[in-house]
Amino acid sequence: MLNLKNVHLAYGPITAVRDASIEVQQGEVVAIVGGNGAGKSTLLKGIAGLMPVDSGQISFENNDITRMPPHVRVARGIALSPEGRQVFSDQSVYDNLTLGAYFRRLSKEALEAEIEEQFKLFPRLRERRSQLAETLSGGEQQMLAIARALMSKPKLLLLDEPSLGLAPKIIQEIFAIIVSLRKAGITILLVEQMANMALAIADRAYVLETGRVTMTGTGQQLLHDPKVRAAYLGVTHTAA
Amino acid sequence: MLATYIQTLVSGLAIGGVYALIALSFSITFTTTKTMNFAQGEFISFGAFIGVAALLLLSGLAGGLTAIPGEAAAGWRYPAAALIATVVAGVMGVLIFLLAVRPFAGKRGMNWVMSTIGFGVILQSIGLTIWGPAPVMVPSPLGDGVLRIAGAGVRPQELIVLASAIAIMVIFDFVMRRTRIGKAMMAVAHSPQTASLMGINVNTVMIGAFALSSGLAGLAGVLIAPIASASLFMGLGFALKAFSGAIIGGLTNPRGCIYGGFILGVLESSVGLWQAQWKEIVVFSLIILVLAFRPQGLFGHASIDKV
Repeated sequence: MLNLKNVHLAYGPITAVRDASIEVQQGEVVAIVGGNGAGKSTLLKGIAGLMPVDSGQISFENNDITRMPPHVRVARGIALSPEGRQVFSDQSVYDNLTLGAYFRRLSKEALEAEIEEQFKLFPRLRERRSQLAETLSGGEQQMLAIARALMSKPKLLLLDEPSLGLAPKIIQEIFAIIVSLRKAGITILLVEQMANMALAIADRAYVLETGRVTMTGTGQQLLHDPKVRAAYLGVTHTAA
Repeated sequence: MLATYIQTLVSGLAIGGVYALIALSFSITFTTTKTMNFAQGEFISFGAFIGVAALLLLSGLAGGLTAIPGEAAAGWRYPAAALIATVVAGVMGVLIFLLAVRPFAGKRGMNWVMSTIGFGVILQSIGLTIWGPAPVMVPSPLGDGVLRIAGAGVRPQELIVLASAIAIMVIFDFVMRRTRIGKAMMAVAHSPQTASLMGINVNTVMIGAFALSSGLAGLAGVLIAPIASASLFMGLGFALKAFSGAIIGGLTNPRGCIYGGFILGVLESSVGLWQAQWKEIVVFSLIILVLAFRPQGLFGHASIDKV
């Protein structure tokens, strides 16, 4: 479904991702794990079109999308729930969700029905529907960011650090939702510092270190790999 | 005495309405593109002269160089001229965005400040070539007589200006809060990157913002021309005052900019009632005070993002 070939991404002279070749098949949950500053978020930005690709190729459903602007990629079926949530804090929960379906030009009834679906998945958002997004807790904002991305009816959902800064109980809740999304048939590419949790639900995973893919395998293989355990699981274990 | 106060209040509100429209126009591009058109003053002057040209064209009358006959502005012609000036200024706004702003927007430095000022200087020179430096008296569509309201003398154009400004701002507020395109503009204002993730074409929204902003400036020119006379030099003063209004109200808050514009207009005319030469001193002292104690403006709010 998604194919990255030798992708380079850079902030000016500083290379953030080098020579990354990554593949996501339809229906998979693929995790990208790695430490802080490994280039995980940059990679997702490149896939979503927020960062220009310096070299290499990105294709989605066998179409080259390397130079496609982000708003067109969304319409093709790639949605990103960005790092740090990035909810529209000055708009209501309801309006945030409406914006998620912006390009689909839904009728009022259809929009209402789809927002209702998101409220079923995230009941806390229903209670907050007319509140400004800035009044939500961190966990609720994360749920809103995911729900907003889902409003575009994506084929591929990119999740950037959904656990960032959240309490363990909320993280469990969010991961349970990710598992249920996968059951609903949405392909997911998940970037996480919480390597243990991400690997536990991932079909396959890539380890990213200072911008390079250094290891790949099934979630279970990496979860039990001694090197991965030493590098990433020891540090994050307490939060599980 | 009461009559004088009413008179002062009405002219303050009318001029404030013009400030508010222009302040809003600054806010529209600042929130969506983080840039501003520093040629807004020239857009106001140009708007006035395009309005004048449209009035003459529509009425088929030959105008003198210094005054337009009253019947040229009668009936539907004035609103039509206002619409034409708005549209032409809007198109010019798209041009200034594409030529002088977009190449520099989002990059380091303030090149867009200089490039928009430069665009304004070019516009003014073109305007002087076409229309010359002399001010032109423009008639009000309701005539230039004085209405008596509770003893106070009010010019009909002041009421037109005030009513138009309020109508436009109410429509703008409705569009921003209730419509799909308004929510998209707010999204771009909040974060262009995140807005693009919603499938919003950010570039189109930015072009639209410049068209809207410049259109408002052009319209403001036509509205104020019957009060201030059309002149290629009139725009700068209005733009500067309006910008001050925007700063007082809070540049990032469109409603605040509107309040700021009105506050400035009323304050200015009240001080003028007392000592005309103190007008500018009071106005700009207020700006310095606001900047010192509430840098985000009287109605601006420091945004809080939860982590």
